[in-house]
Amino acid sequence: MHKVEFEQLDETLYHEKLENGLEVFILPKKGFSKTFATFTTKYGSIDNHFVPRGEKDAIKVPDGIAHFLEHKMFEKEEGDIFQQFSKQGASANAYTSFTRTAYLFSATGQINENIETLLDFVQEPYFTEQTVEKEKGIIAQEITMYDDQPDWRLYFGIIENMYKNHPVKIDIAGTVDSIQDITAEHLYTCYNTFYHPSNMVLFVVGAVDPDGMMKFIKENQDRKTFEDAQEIERIFPEEPLEVAVKERVLNMSVQKPKVFVGIKPEKMDLQGDEMLKHELAAELAFELLFGRTSDFYHHAYEKNWIDESYSFDYSLENGFGYAIIGSDTAEPETLAAEIKHTIANAVEKWPFGQADLDRMRRKKIGFFLRALNSPEYIANQFTRYTFNGMNLFDVVPTLEEIEVADLQAAFSLVSAESQQSVFTIVSPDKKEAQ
Amino acid sequence: MFETIRLAKGVNVHVNETTQFKTINISIKFKDKLSKEKASARSILANVLQHSNEAYPSHTALRMVLDDLYGTSLYMDSSKRGNEHIVSLNVETVNDQYLSEEGVLEKVLNLMYLVLFKPNTEHGLFKESIFLREKNAVKERIESIFDDKTRYAQQRMMDLALPEHPASIPANGSIEAVEKITNEKLMEEYRTMIESNEVEIYAVGDVKPDMIADYIRDYFHFTDREKPVAAPSMELKKPAQQRVAEFEDMKQGKLHMAFFSPVTFRDEKFPVMQLLNGVFGGYAHSKLFVNIREKESMAYYVSSSYSSQFGLMFVLAGIDGKLEEKAVKLILEQLEEVKKGNITDVEFGQTKALLTNQLTEALDSARGQIDIYDQYMELTEDFEPDYLISRWNKITKEDIADAAKQLSLEMTYFLSGKESEIDA
Repeated sequence: MHKVEFEQLDETLYHEKLENGLEVFILPKKGFSKTFATFTTKYGSIDNHFVPRGEKDAIKVPDGIAHFLEHKMFEKEEGDIFQQFSKQGASANAYTSFTRTAYLFSATGQINENIETLLDFVQEPYFTEQTVEKEKGIIAQEITMYDDQPDWRLYFGIIENMYKNHPVKIDIAGTVDSIQDITAEHLYTCYNTFYHPSNMVLFVVGAVDPDGMMKFIKENQDRKTFEDAQEIERIFPEEPLEVAVKERVLNMSVQKPKVFVGIKPEKMDLQGDEMLKHELAAELAFELLFGRTSDFYHHAYEKNWIDESYSFDYSLENGFGYAIIGSDTAEPETLAAEIKHTIANAVEKWPFGQADLDRMRRKKIGFFLRALNSPEYIANQFTRYTFNGMNLFDVVPTLEEIEVADLQAAFSLVSAESQQSVFTIVSPDKKEAQ
Repeated sequence: MFETIRLAKGVNVHVNETTQFKTINISIKFKDKLSKEKASARSILANVLQHSNEAYPSHTALRMVLDDLYGTSLYMDSSKRGNEHIVSLNVETVNDQYLSEEGVLEKVLNLMYLVLFKPNTEHGLFKESIFLREKNAVKERIESIFDDKTRYAQQRMMDLALPEHPASIPANGSIEAVEKITNEKLMEEYRTMIESNEVEIYAVGDVKPDMIADYIRDYFHFTDREKPVAAPSMELKKPAQQRVAEFEDMKQGKLHMAFFSPVTFRDEKFPVMQLLNGVFGGYAHSKLFVNIREKESMAYYVSSSYSSQFGLMFVLAGIDGKLEEKAVKLILEQLEEVKKGNITDVEFGQTKALLTNQLTEALDSARGQIDIYDQYMELTEDFEPDYLISRWNKITKEDIADAAKQLSLEMTYFLSGKESEIDA
């Protein structure tokens, strides 16, 4: 077992890659009562075109299948796994994102039993045509619930605008129609391809003894047999740099119009240290341009173009990414134009210097230290970083190295007019009134 | 957990000195009686005070100094509990042990002082432009509930079931009440808050209780104050209507049900209600989830919650717009099972295990410690998890059945798509 000490942060991380390929990380937290564990596969909604394990030809699977599979993992021949966790005093859950499916629990006792339940239920699939059919009604209600949420529609609307071919443009849960095509056989194909231990990470954080826990996990894994690890072949379509749709409006009943400006980054194949540096530098640049101390924010607030819903975010994964800026606003066109104008100005003349960077750097370091109080943040983020070849605990040292030129370089990849798109939601009745 | 130091009558400092966290959390809570007018005024006040102050007269200037203090978070919020309205000033700052700089905590305390005592004023009133802007922000915050159909349906049901009752008054008040607030009224409300509200101050982190208490005593100068005498009544009165259906442009049907219970937070039987809620609908092992979601595949979410301050139990479900009747029938059948005492050992044990886990786990965050301690202060001087755990362990299935028998369904509210669209 490897032990890495992060003295500045007062944390020690234990790590081992098991024989079957599973990466296990353990982070003890002093003074904590609870233990939080995530068992995550590098498999999300975008992985819909791949060569199934043991086969030669690539297949395409119905939209929403990774999320459907996540739901069905909880049902076993002997019953529902939630029941087992509840008996052991653990709150369990799971989520599916574009790139990951995570199963998790938090508990303040019976940690070994709960770790065993977590490992066993994810490593013992049980799908039948009957249980798959039964789930369709539940997931259809989940999809319908999201369909009624304008903020969710806004988020997916802008991503769909930006991407022409990449499967990130497909809603994670699929559609009520697409999930009707899912069969138990599909689920087994996806499971066998993506749930091999070599494609997964187990992270345990909290009130835990690292030596005992690692031994316990190894014994569990040694009892099971797995096929050899194999490289997974995933197929992604060519994606142009320009956005698919420049502007689109959705009519939906809302209190106030909503608008997002999205920017698609250039160079979406970064991984490891390069990715970490770009991501942090781009985040700092957007914070300076659009954060609460920016000229833009001050101006937009004074003019009443933005309200408390205002947000901006930069997100990058292997193969896709986006910056998103927007708000509920009575003047969506003006706000979108102003955001684009702010970007154009920064491209023309870079407005930030050393003092700006130093202030934002301090802010980011503080945010990171605050986040380290949260076992959930550590486990989820560490896993995301690992899948992209980065280390979460490199954030502070990398931040300390970043220079003004890095911000400018990162921003230059996420700023061209052809990479920008606008998505707006307005009430149908309100539009008529105008 | 917390050490309490009294600064004046009605003003206390509670400190939990611990190295569990990398940050220091401080909250100052101002408590007043709840009304729509107070809630609206105090929500605007929270926004105005966190916007800027005499020393940092613009939003940008205040936010810049926070960035410089290693991204210290500082915000005010407006909340309610029972018939009390609470305005909190919350900060979280990095323990400077992890930084190359010292004295961060003093700077943060000074900033809290400026936010509360040196507001941004002109001619004895709040700066008019900021007042108007923040008044509008609170109004829009209330309006935006419409975009979240679950919250909207719950608010509609409460307005219809218990109008003007503390249970239905939102923490931000109402649009009408916000519109009536003038700058003069807001200033009056501000003085009341600072001079006569009860104040509870919390600090969690690697700090000395005396240091925090001394600083606040020396700089904040809080004077003696009394608990408000005439708090609004929380008595539950039968709603005028038992069933209401409303329509909006939407796809899913939102079913909300409200039950009355004679048992509230102040009642000895309060922990029984927590167990009842867990067995009935609080968790993924509960009767509602297992039967309505898993067996019937009718819903993605279906759950119950217990609002202990008022003695209210709610059931919420997202279902197909055509299935209201069936869902209500199935939900009431599950409640019947609880009333009959048909509770398995497994359901009973799981519920106690999860309640215990939830409580212990909440104490692993500084905010959780503050919220729980502040809530239970009324019942016990030094709250420890065992205060509840030992009570849960003494409860029997019969106790739960008895508590269920006392529930009365008072309102069924259903929000769904326009009728014509359902038929289409």
